[in-house]
Amino acid sequence: MSDIRHALLRRDPLSAAKEVLYHLDISLGSALQSSTGPTPGLEKSTVDLVEEFIFHVYKDRNIQPKRMSCVQELQLLEIMCSYFQEQSKDAIRQIIFSALFSLQGNKADESRMAMLGKLVSMAIAVSRVTILECAATWLQRTHSAWCVRLAQVLMDDYCSLVPCAISTLQNICSASPRFCCQLITAVTALYDFSSDELTPPPALLEMLVGWITEDPRLLLLTFINTPLNSNLPLGCLEITPLLGLLRWCVKAPLAYQRARKPAMSNGHGESDKVTANEDLYSKLHLSVLQVFLMLQVHLTEQNLIGRLAVLPVESVAALVEEVIRICEKLTPLHAASQIQLALDRLAQALQVAMATGALLCTREDLRTLCSRLPHNNLLQLVMSGPVVQPQPHSGPFQPNMYPHIHPGRPSPHSPHQSALSSPHSPHPVLSPHPAMSPHRPLTPHGALSPHAYHPAAVVFPYRPIR
Amino acid sequence: MSAQGDCEFLVKRARELEHAQDPYAAKAWLITARTLYPTDFNIQYEMYSIERNAERTASAGRMLYDIFINFPEQPVVWREIAVITAALRNDSLDKHAQFLKGEGHTLRLLTITLFAITLLAITLLAIRLLAITLLAIRLLAIRLLAIRLLAIRLLTITPFLPQHNSWTRGVFETLPGPVQCQMLLKATEQCFNTLEKAEMLLLLLKRFPESVVQHGVTLGESLLEAETVEKLDTPVNCFRKLFVCDVLPLVLNNPEMCLPASLLYKYLHKAAEFYICYVTREPSADGQRTASQEVGALKSPGRGRGQRCVIDGLSEKSSVVTEPWERLLEMVAVMGSLCDWQGEKGIRSYSDLLQRVTELCRYVSADAEEFARCCGQIVTCCTLVLFYSAVHYVSAVQPSLIHSQSSVSVCPWVLLEDLSCVYTDVEVERKHAHKKRKLADGREKTMSSDDEDVLCKGRGRHIQVNTSEMSGWAETLEHFRTARESWELLHSHQSLETEFVKMCTAWRTETWLWLRIFLTDMIIYQVKSHRLRAVHALSSLAVMSSLQQTQSSSSVVLDTHRCVIQQASCHYALGEFRMACEKLLEAVSGLIPQNEEVVKSSDDQRQSCIKPRRGNDLRLVPCTSKSILPFSLQLMLACFKLRTFTDNRDDLALGHVIVLLQYDWPQGESLFLKAVDKICQQGSFQYENFFNYVTNIDMLEEFAYLRTSEGGRVQLELLPNQGMLIKNPSPSLGAELNTLLLPGAQKADRHHTVTRGITKGVKEDFRLAMERQVSRCGENLLTVLHKFCINEKIILIQSLP
Repeated sequence: MSDIRHALLRRDPLSAAKEVLYHLDISLGSALQSSTGPTPGLEKSTVDLVEEFIFHVYKDRNIQPKRMSCVQELQLLEIMCSYFQEQSKDAIRQIIFSALFSLQGNKADESRMAMLGKLVSMAIAVSRVTILECAATWLQRTHSAWCVRLAQVLMDDYCSLVPCAISTLQNICSASPRFCCQLITAVTALYDFSSDELTPPPALLEMLVGWITEDPRLLLLTFINTPLNSNLPLGCLEITPLLGLLRWCVKAPLAYQRARKPAMSNGHGESDKVTANEDLYSKLHLSVLQVFLMLQVHLTEQNLIGRLAVLPVESVAALVEEVIRICEKLTPLHAASQIQLALDRLAQALQVAMATGALLCTREDLRTLCSRLPHNNLLQLVMSGPVVQPQPHSGPFQPNMYPHIHPGRPSPHSPHQSALSSPHSPHPVLSPHPAMSPHRPLTPHGALSPHAYHPAAVVFPYRPIR
Repeated sequence: MSAQGDCEFLVKRARELEHAQDPYAAKAWLITARTLYPTDFNIQYEMYSIERNAERTASAGRMLYDIFINFPEQPVVWREIAVITAALRNDSLDKHAQFLKGEGHTLRLLTITLFAITLLAITLLAIRLLAITLLAIRLLAIRLLAIRLLAIRLLTITPFLPQHNSWTRGVFETLPGPVQCQMLLKATEQCFNTLEKAEMLLLLLKRFPESVVQHGVTLGESLLEAETVEKLDTPVNCFRKLFVCDVLPLVLNNPEMCLPASLLYKYLHKAAEFYICYVTREPSADGQRTASQEVGALKSPGRGRGQRCVIDGLSEKSSVVTEPWERLLEMVAVMGSLCDWQGEKGIRSYSDLLQRVTELCRYVSADAEEFARCCGQIVTCCTLVLFYSAVHYVSAVQPSLIHSQSSVSVCPWVLLEDLSCVYTDVEVERKHAHKKRKLADGREKTMSSDDEDVLCKGRGRHIQVNTSEMSGWAETLEHFRTARESWELLHSHQSLETEFVKMCTAWRTETWLWLRIFLTDMIIYQVKSHRLRAVHALSSLAVMSSLQQTQSSSSVVLDTHRCVIQQASCHYALGEFRMACEKLLEAVSGLIPQNEEVVKSSDDQRQSCIKPRRGNDLRLVPCTSKSILPFSLQLMLACFKLRTFTDNRDDLALGHVIVLLQYDWPQGESLFLKAVDKICQQGSFQYENFFNYVTNIDMLEEFAYLRTSEGGRVQLELLPNQGMLIKNPSPSLGAELNTLLLPGAQKADRHHTVTRGITKGVKEDFRLAMERQVSRCGENLLTVLHKFCINEKIILIQSLP
């Protein structure tokens, strides 16, 4: 191995990097073919080679780092891009990507992140779907702090630096929805409204709302495509962007209220923008609720209702805490309506999430959780739960037992349909399907579009929501 | 807080948000509300309303299905579904109508659309009123009175309604097929009105052919049952229309239906009854108004007309049955294939159908079993051909009965014995008359084999038509022939006749006036071969005339004449001259004599008389005074002629003949000479009406001559005993002489001829009468003869046996 290293040392940095890539490809490719196991281990020496010749981090302090020029770096990125594009084997692509960019907890990580940021940004610009797919996986397996950093880089490139660049980003949604889904999660983690800088840029907001209303299933893509038994590392991003988006929707009115105070003196231009954003948040919030409804369908089909917490209670608790804190800071007199709006949204989301089985929590828990929030009628109603009354419809309705197992009434879905959607295969209906997506953005059950319906079967795709 | 209160609070908030232009928030509220109270109707209905108001068909359809399933007993849901199904029904009708009509009917379509719009407006108004009211108040910032608001709503909604209509349909179309199916079925269950239910179910059957197997026959039977339950007296009713025009085609054309032949026959008969009665039903009052504009376009009965008539219980639009005969023929073709009829492939017309059945009948007549098997087919097809042809014949002959056009423009036609050859030599005629007489004597006896001979002879009776007066006469006669042939076939075998009679009883054909007209004409045609039937026909004619007399409408008067004249013709053909004359004179009294065209019509007849005749021809003449009066005179002449030229002396009859011979002079010259011969033989002649009614100059001259020694000194008693002449207002003597002495060759010649007799020393009064008579030569002959018929009615009748 040191032979290779010596040979590489004599080369110029670019060709050395190329050589390392080539080496990686050969060794991992052959290892993948020979081994029967899922992932062949990465040899320490290979990792060293990568760190030394691609990320230019040297173990040996004596050696003067032979840095690449900017042009060379660009050339390297281009080489990587075309490499991933040309590599036809998905598995090899994934392994090589993770060999290059998995964080090792050493000083090379900074370089990795820098390079990754540049690579993904470039892939977005030239629409390299394979790299975006790899990046999506990376975003799923990496600690959220790093994900946020990547998001930050991309936002800098596409939102802050050049105002019109966002349209480039906009278009990749159709190219790699998985990446977009993860990007949304990362972005929601990034912008937490703690300061003006960390308030989502309006262009970004608009883009996200556009994506989601076009196809709300986007938000569930990662969740549905992730096998249940896959154990993800601690501290990684949420499995869905739902909580992040919910956080936005709830905190947005409060944050804009805060932002409005200095803006008052500036005139009306600012307030117009705020109203436009309000509209977008309203739309976004509705989408989140609708996605919860879609999620319920999915969970029911997979028989997962009550067994899988899509929204972790702890995260929700954290959000509630945050809201409490912000509300305390605001003067209730000026911000009353904004606070009520935030609480309305929070209450709605909690109710719908509980009802659809996304949030596993009893009314009792909820009451403790939300006891310190300011008063809100709807929240009160949600916390106390619906009034139980004799139902004329005699449906198996259990108002106080959220989340409940879906009522035991005969499912109108025939067995073959659930066989199709086994956990091993990606969900057949929810997989990106251009023919079905764009037309019914607001249909809560759009996932089961009438087009997918086979006329011969006596199955109804529509079911009343319980 | 009660659950009710919660729900109200939630819906209220959602509405507020919707009106604050935040539909997303409104929806979010409602989604939350629904998860809290999934069984609350108002929440889901509000969700549906939002989608509907935003005209998002897909999501609205989905919501509608939800509330449809969850709240089946909510009246609001049914109202929505009713609106949708109404739109669908209108839609299918509109398409149908557009397909059928084309550009000429835009106005009608507009009316229909307006009607639909109004209907929809009422429904939508009720639903949207609340929501829109709030909005309007906001926008206008005016508190309006409720009524004014309503008016404004109407104005603002109406322009958008067609869109709403299509949108409503759009909602339905977004639902998957089986859901539509289920929704329609459920909607059907909610209908308690049979008609509405049937229309709804029909919508289902049309959209989902596979449901025909399950519901088709049930629906059909329920419609037929409704018909009996409602005790409707005509087959042209809404239930039957729906059954025949909509359900039956679906049932018959569905390849998966396997119906027993008996049921198929029943259905076909029901359909046939409907179509026939539809085509021949009485024109409605408003039909007459509009249809007269289209008269020119009409080719066959039922093709263009009838579209104006409204079937009780249906809209004007859905009362339309187009091309009924073609539909029926198509149905017969389908029946043929379903019942394995023989030789029923590729029928193109009704005459085609008859031909095949005739052939079939001939083939199977030897084999009794086979015959019994084909009986149904033969009777059914044959009956349809009979009625088809008869309707077409009658519509040409008696247009006012079938077409809804005014009888002023098109007069009825009447089929009569052709008597234009009554002037021909009596010798030929007498032999025939002798036979007639013999037959008349044997009338009460059973049908003799001798009838069969005549039947063969009578088969080829020729019908004369003035081709310039009747357009499409060839077709009409062809229909008449086809109808007769079908009738013959139906009565050629006992079992066929039994079946046919059964069908007629079920259809109550005895109430079909038009069929009677055909049957009468047919019997007049066959009168010499089927005495018994002719007698029946006479009685039926009598019933018909009395029936028509009870109606006093002016258009019926001519129809009554027609009837009476035919009775007369029939009596004559049967040899019952007295009855014939009686009827005839009854009719003549209602006629108005005309003058100017006398010469023309006689020209026609003379021309036709040149052709060789067999003496048993028929004539189809227009039922007008112009045509009927000459016929009446000929008929009377025919009656008296036979009586006159016998060995017995009957001066009265001879006198009548002479009076009647004046018409169409000189056609009857030879007969007149024959009469003169007879007078000479007798040596004397007494006819007191002579100077009242004989104005023919040739005749007067002849009689004047008869008195002379050269003429044979015939004893003539032509002057009335009493002052009969005074009855006729006569000009003064001086004037007569003036005309007598008028210069000019012709007049002078006449003068000379007449005075020749006078100078020979005849009695003064005879001479005076003669002179005055000559002056009357210019009088309208038809008026004179008409007077003759009216004044001498009693004598005329009495002078016949």
